Amino acid sequence: MKKNLFFILIGIVIIVFASIRIASNNTIYYYTTTEANYLSTSSNERIKLGGFVVSNSVVKGDLGVTEFSITDGNIIMEISFDGFIPELFQDEMGVILDGYFNSGIFYSDDMLVKHDNEYISEDGEVYNVENYKE
Amino acid sequence: MLYGPLLVWLLISALGPFDTVQGPSSKLLYVHVPTVWIAYLAYTLTFIYSLLYLIKKNPKYDSRAVANAKSGVLFTGTTLIAGSVWGKFTWGTWWVWGDARLNLTAILLLVYLGYLASRRFSDDIAKTAKNSSFIGIFGIIQIPILHFSVIWWRSVHQQASILSQETVSSGDAPMSPDILTTLLISVLLVTLVHVFLSKKYRITADQIWDDYLNPKSRAKI
Repeated sequence: MKKNLFFILIGIVIIVFASIRIASNNTIYYYTTTEANYLSTSSNERIKLGGFVVSNSVVKGDLGVTEFSITDGNIIMEISFDGFIPELFQDEMGVILDGYFNSGIFYSDDMLVKHDNEYISEDGEVYNVENYKE
Repeated sequence: MLYGPLLVWLLISALGPFDTVQGPSSKLLYVHVPTVWIAYLAYTLTFIYSLLYLIKKNPKYDSRAVANAKSGVLFTGTTLIAGSVWGKFTWGTWWVWGDARLNLTAILLLVYLGYLASRRFSDDIAKTAKNSSFIGIFGIIQIPILHFSVIWWRSVHQQASILSQETVSSGDAPMSPDILTTLLISVLLVTLVHVFLSKKYRITADQIWDDYLNPKSRAKI
């Protein structure tokens, strides 16, 4: 009886510890372009870089390489992407890219599209940021 | 009574309005969001009934705790599957291993599967019920960690649209009124599904307790 209780408590402690640990390990799941600006020159290490696609910056190059820029509203960075592009990829969409810096350009082959928490239907009212903030 | 709300919910999800940028896949909102809310609700009830069982030692509380956990596990599974499919359509991948919220949800499912499994460790229900209650009580810690994970840690997962500080304080959700209405109706229907489903499970659990406490009632059959 006491033994069972002991195992259960141990289990709970492990679970809570593991949850916090797993989540905290990814405290910086991706870097913003401003943060990456401090890292870029230092190494060729693979990092995850997040930002919004700059309007009209997407250029489909030869050999399947797509070039575009992303920004966090502060620093703009050039991306050279060669890989699977999710359907939602478009101007002003948030993306998280996995890759490395080489002479100021971020080379990536793995992209995630990060959608925000706004849902606007076709015949619904257009959601207005100004109204939202009052 | 169980299949009515279930059917209406599925119809509403299939026919409801969707986000124009994300396309029809965003209808998974009506599955993903209500199911995870009901999972929160179910595990909260499991917590309350587990606590009551430990204090009052009345089997009826234990039955309710199990019933809610079973339904919660089903809804957590649903939310993971719906979220995964939705992720495939929007993010471009089924699963993101580095993401806090996704991993925490998977752990949440495992913990409550463990809760259900822990009840089968022994035939002596009174003993396992007491031990399982501890999992039911401490498991609740995960809910706030999970819910605020998208705020505390950077995540590919979008932030909450309804249960967020901005929405609660301004009363204005960042979605079109028709999507919001459909979502709230879905929540209501899924709540009904949960109520009937957990009632079904509770009757089964009560029966097991009854067989345990009055062995003769089984012999009559």
